[in-house]
Amino acid sequence: MRGFLLRRLGSALFVLFSLTLLTFVIARLAPGDPIMQMMGNRRDPVRYAALQHQYGLDQPVPVQYLQYVGGLLHGDLGMSFQYPGRPVTTILAAGLPVSLKLGLGALLLSTLVGVPLGVIAALRRNGPADRIITTLMLGLFSIPSFVLIGLLVWLDLALYRAGWPALPVAGLQQPTSWVLPIFVLAASSMGYIARITRSSMIEVLGQDYIRTARSKGLSAVVILGRHGLRNALLPLLTVLGPSVAFLVTGAFVVEKLFNLPGIGNTTIQSIGQRDYPVIQATTILLGVAVLIMNLITDLLYSVFDPRIARQG
Amino acid sequence: MAARSKVQPTTTGATTAAANAPTLWTRLARNHWAVVSLAFLIAVVVAAGVGPALYQALAPADLQPLRAPDYQDYTISGPSESWPSATHWLGGDDLGRDTLARLLTGLRVSLAVALLVETINIGLGATLGLLAGTLGGWVDGVVSRLADMLFAFPGLLLAILISAIFGTAAQDVAGDMGRLLLVSTALALVSWPLMARFVRGQTLSLRQRDFVLAAEAIGARQSHIMLRHILPNVVGLIITAATLDMASVVLNEAVLSLLGLGIQPPGSSLGLMINQAQPHLEQNWFQLAVPGLTLTLLVLAFSFLGDGIRDALDPTTL
Repeated sequence: MRGFLLRRLGSALFVLFSLTLLTFVIARLAPGDPIMQMMGNRRDPVRYAALQHQYGLDQPVPVQYLQYVGGLLHGDLGMSFQYPGRPVTTILAAGLPVSLKLGLGALLLSTLVGVPLGVIAALRRNGPADRIITTLMLGLFSIPSFVLIGLLVWLDLALYRAGWPALPVAGLQQPTSWVLPIFVLAASSMGYIARITRSSMIEVLGQDYIRTARSKGLSAVVILGRHGLRNALLPLLTVLGPSVAFLVTGAFVVEKLFNLPGIGNTTIQSIGQRDYPVIQATTILLGVAVLIMNLITDLLYSVFDPRIARQG
Repeated sequence: MAARSKVQPTTTGATTAAANAPTLWTRLARNHWAVVSLAFLIAVVVAAGVGPALYQALAPADLQPLRAPDYQDYTISGPSESWPSATHWLGGDDLGRDTLARLLTGLRVSLAVALLVETINIGLGATLGLLAGTLGGWVDGVVSRLADMLFAFPGLLLAILISAIFGTAAQDVAGDMGRLLLVSTALALVSWPLMARFVRGQTLSLRQRDFVLAAEAIGARQSHIMLRHILPNVVGLIITAATLDMASVVLNEAVLSLLGLGIQPPGSSLGLMINQAQPHLEQNWFQLAVPGLTLTLLVLAFSFLGDGIRDALDPTTL
């Protein structure tokens, strides 16, 4: 068990190292001199040197990388080019709560809806309920998020025009503003999770121990909960990591189209302003979030299925 | 395993792929969804290929010429946000540009990016996977670590980072073509590690098969084993993986365009069309439905075709 944990931690550290190194190298290769851009038309060598020193750009590149990583360890993500002297952390901090709520909400919704639907589909295999759920989930999984947004906003408008209560489609003025963004972000993972749950549940229900449990006369609830679901949910843990990666990319689209002030939208604005440190920081922030999620998944997996840790 | 090795001739594994070819098509033809998808994709390729020229020849005189080669179209005429009509079959967008013209040039972008990405994907990913699996040792170590490094970036993050940082420079150097190449390279960087991993895995398992061991026993060179025995047996996997990957590439290109990282206005791409139509949804939902539906159908067609090819190649699934 300890060897397994150490190996996982080691690979996580390697991923973390790759993430920071590649991000740093790509940002360093960016064309143009950021200090020159910052100074505009005022060509003042003294001020140039001062700014260069302030951003640490007068150091050799390897030293810059070490300083950058050192800063990361202290929660310092560097300084913005667009707003000189302003730390990237303050720029991103404003959007973090919005993005976190959006992401966690979507993760919860996709699991809480996806798993039960997958179980129902497996129990009513090939019946009408299964057909409806499978088709619906395949649709949610395949439809691109921006097409789904268009469809939902259009339906919402139709409701509004007909005088029915409608949901807000932009901004976050009301609590109900969260409904559409969270649903759209969750849609794809929801379809994915429901499909995995269904196939894994069908496999588990065909196992000998389920037949044994039935023949012992155990109630359907006990069979399903203790013997079925507990085993069927294991494969689901492995897709949790990829699901979060899905959510990260999806959040960019959802935040942009619903005009939400999250870190995705902040980053898109920084792209327009060529504020590379912000883009760099977002990449590392989201990469680390997915990394932590994957580590938790690995840990949970080894707790639920001790065979994994023993095999490595 | 032993039963399978009987069908393999002792030295030439290459002949088996050729012998399977006719049955492959009949097996694929049995899958209706794959056939429909293939027909749809061929139609899209033809439309994107000859569509802009045809449009230019047949378009009403009041439309300005469609500038297809540099992916731009200034067919501004008529009212904005118009519905389909006899002159504008798919209506017009918020600037009064003909939607059919923009769709045709936009499809070119989607297909060109998909083709470029898969070329890099196969040229780099499949080759490295094949080399890593066959040679093992330090080659395998380097390729696997490199792939692991790129896996550190979840989803599209790496592609977003690269297109954001080099986008303007690429545009300055080579215009829309530069953007196109940059977006393709960025998307290929995201997808080649997976291709390499697939091919490496398949190669490793093929190395244990009797016909490869036999070839090794009679003293065949590594390059001979790799090209004549292993490659013919991973081609199917490569084609399947590339077709399935095209579905996500088409989608991801649209996402990059939507975020303002792909083809720049006034150029046209499906993602850009969706981005421009979104705010005008209230006046004219049709202008959003055209690129949205086209994109969804493209993604579905590549997925169904990929699944069909996979099933046709793998006799155990039928």
